[in-house]
Amino acid sequence: MTNLSLLTESMITRAKELGADLVKASASRSEVREFNVDGGRFSLFRTLFNQSVSITVFKGGRKGSASVNRFDEEAVNKVIADALAAADSSQPDEAWDLCHEPNSYDITDGCPIADTDLLFTRTEELKNTIAKDYPKVLLEQMIVDHSGFEAVTRTSYGAHFKRRGGSYQVSLMFSAHEGEKASSFMGAGFTTDSLDTPFIELADTRRALADIEKQIDTEAIEGKFVGTMVLTPDSLGEFFGSALSNFTSDISIIDGTSIWKNALGTKVADERLTIGMNPRDPRIVGGSYATGEGFMAENYNVIENGILKTFMLSLYAANKTGHTRAPNDGFDMIIEGGDTPYDEMIASIDKGIIVGRFSGGAPNAKGDFSGVAKNSFLVENGKITKALRETMINGNLADLFTSIISISKETTVNGGSVLPSISFSGITVSGK
Amino acid sequence: MLNDTLTKFKGSFAPGAHIELRAQHNTTAAVSLFCGNQVGNASSNTSGVSARAFKNGVWGFSSAADLSDEAVKNVLRAATDNAIFLDGKVGNKPITLPAIKEGSYRSPVFTTPCEQKRYTEFCRELDDYISKKYPSLASRFVSSRYECMEKLLVTSDGYTSHSYAPRSYIYVQLSAEGKDASPIELFEPYGGMGVFDENFTDPALLFPKIDALYEKVMQKREGVFPEAGTKTVILDGMLSGMLAHEAVGHTVEADLVLGGSVAAHSLNQRVASDLVTLVDFAHTAFGESAPLPVYVDDEGTPCEDAVIIDKGILTGYLNNRESALHFGMKPQGNARAYLFSDEPLIRMRNTAILPGKDSLADMIASVEDGYYLIDTNNGQADTTGEFMFGVCMGYEIKNGKLGRAILDTTISGVAFDMLKTVDMVSDEMVWASSGYCGKKQPMPVGMGGPAIRCKVTMGGR
Repeated sequence: MTNLSLLTESMITRAKELGADLVKASASRSEVREFNVDGGRFSLFRTLFNQSVSITVFKGGRKGSASVNRFDEEAVNKVIADALAAADSSQPDEAWDLCHEPNSYDITDGCPIADTDLLFTRTEELKNTIAKDYPKVLLEQMIVDHSGFEAVTRTSYGAHFKRRGGSYQVSLMFSAHEGEKASSFMGAGFTTDSLDTPFIELADTRRALADIEKQIDTEAIEGKFVGTMVLTPDSLGEFFGSALSNFTSDISIIDGTSIWKNALGTKVADERLTIGMNPRDPRIVGGSYATGEGFMAENYNVIENGILKTFMLSLYAANKTGHTRAPNDGFDMIIEGGDTPYDEMIASIDKGIIVGRFSGGAPNAKGDFSGVAKNSFLVENGKITKALRETMINGNLADLFTSIISISKETTVNGGSVLPSISFSGITVSGK
Repeated sequence: MLNDTLTKFKGSFAPGAHIELRAQHNTTAAVSLFCGNQVGNASSNTSGVSARAFKNGVWGFSSAADLSDEAVKNVLRAATDNAIFLDGKVGNKPITLPAIKEGSYRSPVFTTPCEQKRYTEFCRELDDYISKKYPSLASRFVSSRYECMEKLLVTSDGYTSHSYAPRSYIYVQLSAEGKDASPIELFEPYGGMGVFDENFTDPALLFPKIDALYEKVMQKREGVFPEAGTKTVILDGMLSGMLAHEAVGHTVEADLVLGGSVAAHSLNQRVASDLVTLVDFAHTAFGESAPLPVYVDDEGTPCEDAVIIDKGILTGYLNNRESALHFGMKPQGNARAYLFSDEPLIRMRNTAILPGKDSLADMIASVEDGYYLIDTNNGQADTTGEFMFGVCMGYEIKNGKLGRAILDTTISGVAFDMLKTVDMVSDEMVWASSGYCGKKQPMPVGMGGPAIRCKVTMGGR
């Protein structure tokens, strides 16, 4: 079996011999075991065996990359030559760089080896529990897998990262039915490194299934109103993810279109809001230990008590703009629970909407969003009164951060994020 | 090019078993320039072999990143073992797939992609043109992407095939500062099926298209927010194609029908006005090659057109061999896989509403107060047929004449309700093929249509 450390070391040596100034080489092998349920019945069991090598070279400030999923000498030499040829055709840009420190780790974490029989048992148990406890729900598709891997990355500055790991992932898509009446579809999912707990009890799975059964009979609202919007953990992650991408990431900071481009160190959000990007949080499964540029990954807050602390920039964008790079390049979003129980949050709403899923266009650079509120409920006088259809919501992503009413005590942990529900004021809700 | 190392294993397939054996090589090359900075410059090669076996209603699948005889034997054995494992756990009643006719297909042309520097040089010439001619733009993005799927397929019955499907595109995005300092953006892809050098011989040939795109950005810069509510609109071909794919095509994919889509209860019923006929073309449309032709699918089924809506009546679903057996329909070649390590899923190919007899000019003249919606930057639809499309370019129509450009908006509706409001269909087709359809795996697809006059809900401010 190919030694990945030796392979990547030889790739760096070879690329430098051929003229590269800086090199990053990665190699990995992986195994996947996956069960599929389609239309409520088991349909597929598959086992996948893959491998990959990739290389990025810098030559006179020019960058080129190439990858192939073979380890033989001919393929590896070609991928090195392809990356160098790409770099030769590029233009020099002094902003490209790698971490100059020879960082290293050698880690085994998660569950590298699958327990296939227990994975099937847990999958079948989930399918049967849904059929028993949520009889109106039809599982359109369920994908449950175990991914195990061994990966090595090295740089010409001496960084050497070795990791062996694995995790189980569950992804559900479902709808509820009564005769010919049907709800919209809804998704749920999580990542875990343990099969100790029945899948139905993980993340927000039970709430999502219970909600969809209440969404078979939906009504459109007449006219429009301005009221409160509650984002569930799933939709909150989507909205805040979109906002942070729009306002703090490479492209919008480099071209200066971010509306937060001059807001570092200033208040951009309600002071109760802190957003962390924490791959090293114990609740995150499979979080990164190093960035793609060779720095050790560290937890950090993008927003802390309402203050914008940093942009989410790569080393390239940081060098390009003079700002500081982000301490990790993942998106493991953590927002701790607040002080309002979820039921109290709903009970305090005069008129508003709970949004379980958002189907809308990508917000523009200014942050304006407009789209259909899916899997959503109308709240009137503190009570959920109806499930909604054909209801549009309009607002602005930046305004969301400053219009927080309350943050729920309860959080949802799905292996990739920790998020509460949050209620916001001033959202335009329109019906037919 | 892949050598045929698979056919010799056909004799070792278990008698009576349905087996698919596929070797595949995916190639990509991508370059991107953002405001003149080369932020993307990479290529990839992904190859391997996979096998899939059917047993009593369940499938076993296995793949390996290796094309050796040993790898072929291993994936054949593992796929069979996986089918036996799952069948043993599930305990279905015995079932076999009906046989389909045997044959073979081989792509007529295999060509070699160009060197990476060709993409960079081409994009740079376009970028230089834009930066010199339009220096006031806030930002510009020029990128190219080439990809090719080569597949070698041997099945226990049906067609064997050796197919080669290259496509290459240039994407240009221009962004100007709007009245309130917010960016006004438009994006356009150019290209289609074929290797890069076939599709793009000279950057100067794209300059007029870039000029037209810039002109639209300037019009949009002066644009107004549309009025919200139910409106009479003319959806141009990009949007009717999006509707055909997202809001209708997905709901009639048989796996989603079995998962409870709206089409489960609509077969042989009226779902659109009788002006609407909607077809998933296999490889040839209107006497010419479809944008992304498919001749044999990854289950060995020879591809033919699938008529989904015929004069307003829902007449069929898109099937694989198993779902076709379930619904008593004929498989028409819709089972496709993206990578060697992907199993075939039911996918669309080139899905389009057919053109009608009206002229676009007459259609615009017929609208007293509405909108002409031309381009979309995204679209999503539900299994209920409820859809939402982003509209990034359009104009007001006032008293039968085009008015001001509009700013970004959304349209929404329920497909089988909205299609019943179609009362005019133009006589010209627009095709798009630069995107991917997402459904567990990505997949290149074509979509298209004429302009249609209908009623939709417009989002406003």
